[in-house]
Amino acid sequence: MAGISTQREARRGDKIISGDQRAAATAAAGIGSSISISHVRKSYGNFVALDDANFDIAPGEFITLLGPSGSGKTTLLNIIAGFQNIDKGEVLVDGKPVLHVAPHRRGFGMVFQSYALFPNMTVTQNVAFPMRMAGVDRETTDRRVAETLEMMRLSDHAAKMPSQMSGGQQQRVAIARAIVMRPRVVLMDEPLSALDRRLRESIQIEIRELHRTIGSTILFVTHDQGEALTMSDRIAVLDAGKIIQIASPTEIYRHPATRFVASFVGESNLIDVELVQRRGTRLTLKNRAGFTFEAGSRNEDAGSTATVLVRPERIAMSDTPAPNSVPITVTSALFLGELLRVECEMEGGGKLLIRCTDTQSRAMPNIGDKLYASWGADDCWVLS
Amino acid sequence: MTMAQSSVAMRHPARRSYWNLLKNPSILLLPATLFLAVIYVWPLLDLFRLSVGGPTWTSHFERVFSIPLYWQSLVRTMEISITVSALCLFFGYPTALLIHRSQGIVKVMVATAVVLPYFIAILIRTYAWMVLLGRNGPLNKLAIWLGILDQPAELLFNRGSVLIGMTAVLVPLMVLSIYSSVSRIDGNLTRAALASGAGPIAVFWRVLLPLTFPGMGAGFLLVFVSGLGFFITPTLLGGPGDQMFAMHITQQADFLTSEGFLQALAVVLLMITLVVVGIAGHFLGFEFIWGGEKLSGVTPSASKTDRGGRPASGSAVGNLFADAVGWPLLRLLGKLPPSAGTWLVCVMGGFVILALIAPIVIVSIISFSKASFLTFPPPGFSLRWYSKFFSDSDWMSAFTTSLSVAAISAAIAVAFGTSAAIGIVRSSLKAKTAIMLLLVSPIIVPPVVLGLSLYSLFLYFDLIGSRIGLAAAHAIGGIPLVVVIIAASLQGVDRKLEQAAAIHGASPLTVLRKVTLPAIAPGLAAASFFAFLHSFDELVLSLFLSSAHLKTLPLRLWADVNYQLNPVLAVVSTLEVVLVVGGILIARPVLAGSRKAAR
Repeated sequence: MAGISTQREARRGDKIISGDQRAAATAAAGIGSSISISHVRKSYGNFVALDDANFDIAPGEFITLLGPSGSGKTTLLNIIAGFQNIDKGEVLVDGKPVLHVAPHRRGFGMVFQSYALFPNMTVTQNVAFPMRMAGVDRETTDRRVAETLEMMRLSDHAAKMPSQMSGGQQQRVAIARAIVMRPRVVLMDEPLSALDRRLRESIQIEIRELHRTIGSTILFVTHDQGEALTMSDRIAVLDAGKIIQIASPTEIYRHPATRFVASFVGESNLIDVELVQRRGTRLTLKNRAGFTFEAGSRNEDAGSTATVLVRPERIAMSDTPAPNSVPITVTSALFLGELLRVECEMEGGGKLLIRCTDTQSRAMPNIGDKLYASWGADDCWVLS
Repeated sequence: MTMAQSSVAMRHPARRSYWNLLKNPSILLLPATLFLAVIYVWPLLDLFRLSVGGPTWTSHFERVFSIPLYWQSLVRTMEISITVSALCLFFGYPTALLIHRSQGIVKVMVATAVVLPYFIAILIRTYAWMVLLGRNGPLNKLAIWLGILDQPAELLFNRGSVLIGMTAVLVPLMVLSIYSSVSRIDGNLTRAALASGAGPIAVFWRVLLPLTFPGMGAGFLLVFVSGLGFFITPTLLGGPGDQMFAMHITQQADFLTSEGFLQALAVVLLMITLVVVGIAGHFLGFEFIWGGEKLSGVTPSASKTDRGGRPASGSAVGNLFADAVGWPLLRLLGKLPPSAGTWLVCVMGGFVILALIAPIVIVSIISFSKASFLTFPPPGFSLRWYSKFFSDSDWMSAFTTSLSVAAISAAIAVAFGTSAAIGIVRSSLKAKTAIMLLLVSPIIVPPVVLGLSLYSLFLYFDLIGSRIGLAAAHAIGGIPLVVVIIAASLQGVDRKLEQAAAIHGASPLTVLRKVTLPAIAPGLAAASFFAFLHSFDELVLSLFLSSAHLKTLPLRLWADVNYQLNPVLAVVSTLEVVLVVGGILIARPVLAGSRKAAR
């Protein structure tokens, strides 16, 4: 027993957790590691792929790295996995530096966009691979592999080759392989972007539940903001190698830090305004056409001009003027089923996008209709 | 206008269908197929006819297998070929990995170092090894200088020098074959294995090796089949005990009395080659001959299913062994520093590249020697051997003969090959694969067999010593090169482009001229160059088909190499290297482009 677990013990440093002990601790929450990214910088020649990334991940947290392609999110994941060297900084797992540790000794699980299943092995052999490498005995391996396949609803496919399975099934096998050791950290590199929408949504839920069951820390990379909002405990938004904001999905969506975050996450109306009056956290603002409205802000030192964010679904349309309202002209109206998507022109210039639920009582607006758009003071967020 | 045309077409339905027949791309396969049928298939069939022409049809074959000299030589040929294949695999794999793992300019340089020698004539590379291993050669000098040897040792004319020479000549084939297999593997597979806790050795053993098995198999068989027909290298580097089968055929060819028996020898060699290729083709797909990907990916996955379908993976004994030895060993090796694998690859790959490049460099240096005999390092430098080469009318006439033969041969090969390649890619003929196989098959036929079969044909038509005849014979081997290169670049041309041109009013000929040909122009240039080089370097067919009036450069080289090793040969070698390097520099963007297109 002791001989078998040496490998894993070596990987964990002085925290001795052998494969068997962890096998016994199945489904116990709280096995996730804390990760500290400390001033990590990575550049290729003149191109800075990652600039001073500096944040902590709590044990067992589901954190998503969100950003457009080339923003550095995959670079960061590969650095944590050990596939990429860095210029400076350090990565700490459970308080211990890991950058000098070879990837295969870090004991993480990883899921790739291209599945990366070994085409020369069956599903069972693929999932058993990490256990064999860790030196877990055959009975435990067989039992654990069967459990994991069961958990991923793959028991019927155990003997198949990866090439005989659909994309969704293959990715579930890849997830099974990544979690079979109950690793303390699971890295996921855009695991769902090769799948169609419906499949993506169902596997999103599966991964979410899996996270609750096994309790590993999960780092999830995606460029799909919807996916990030649905799945994460916290989201780190990256742009051009910089981490712009790290916060919970609701915070990111409701109170984005910058224009970039506001426009990258969800649909948004960004309106340039002038500050008219300030009463504590309540501001009175004026848009370019001179219409005034009120907004809430946590940002005490907002200057005399600012940009405000109003989410399209927070805007109400009416035929008559109301407090905090702007006259609009409808330029396009789309029926999306449960929602109406209305684009309009604000009086005095500026476009406004409105999403509202479809109701029997209201007729579809027509192009050219002159209406009023209004929103509550709390639905209006002043960007810094 | 269109009305008039269509009414004409309606009035002449017969002419219309004839015209349609002409427009069918499969007609483009005809010229090359006919050419090969006359100059390649027919002589080989004639070879069979002569081989069974004894008192009974088996009598010549009985003689082959009853004389110990021949069947012992056959066994020896097999032994040497298998050993060479194994050596190539052993040295070629790390080299392929080295190319795969290096990046940027280093990758280009390493790849060029492997590919460059592949395009230099076997005769010249063998000559370079004779120089390297010779009594006054650099290796002996080095050993004495280091104090390993007291006096120069005889490194040449034994089994060892044959194996070294053949391995050095054939290893690029293996490297390219394995590299094409390695480069197709998803890089994330290695990462996935690492993330699963597998050390570099385990990644290699469990992932890389199984996935590159087809490439290794293809490389092994290509080297083996080429080795079977080897003639130049064993003749120059071997001793009396290293006679290979192909050498007997050329020796027997000097005695005209042995007609029938001689053909039987050739048929035996050809049959062994074809059986090996047939078995290999069955398992790997015949595409392995020209380095193509297997078109039907069904068979391998199906065969794997049978294995995976069993309840447990492998037998109980196998499991026990894997648990007791296999996995612990892999885990133990995982404790090696991760850089160990990288170092091993660098050292072995570097050694192979040194062995490929050093002989060429040394011969180039010797060509500038001041000494009147072959020695390294040269006592001083001069251009005396260059002036001797360029002022010697014998050498110059051989040189110009070779140039003109190669130019004619390249023209024939490119004309037939290009038309055939378009036919292969654009037609929807059922027999396409079979025709492709025919077009490419000259690559695997031992040159000695081909030379012998052509000898009878050329005698019959009184073509021996004819420039056009020799060029046509060289084109047999040039056509496969052209077909493979042009077909690859054609596949990179988007069919939609041609359709777009056609829908906007371009006639088929205009489409060909304005869209297709410009798109494959780089491929055409590369194909012409390689077809030219193939003929320029060709020795074995020329040995059979030339006369006293028609001496090519390789023939002149061959005569001199067998007679005495003088620095003029080094001059010719250096000129050839310059030619190949120049050609590759010109063709490099093309090759890179066609590789991209092939993907």
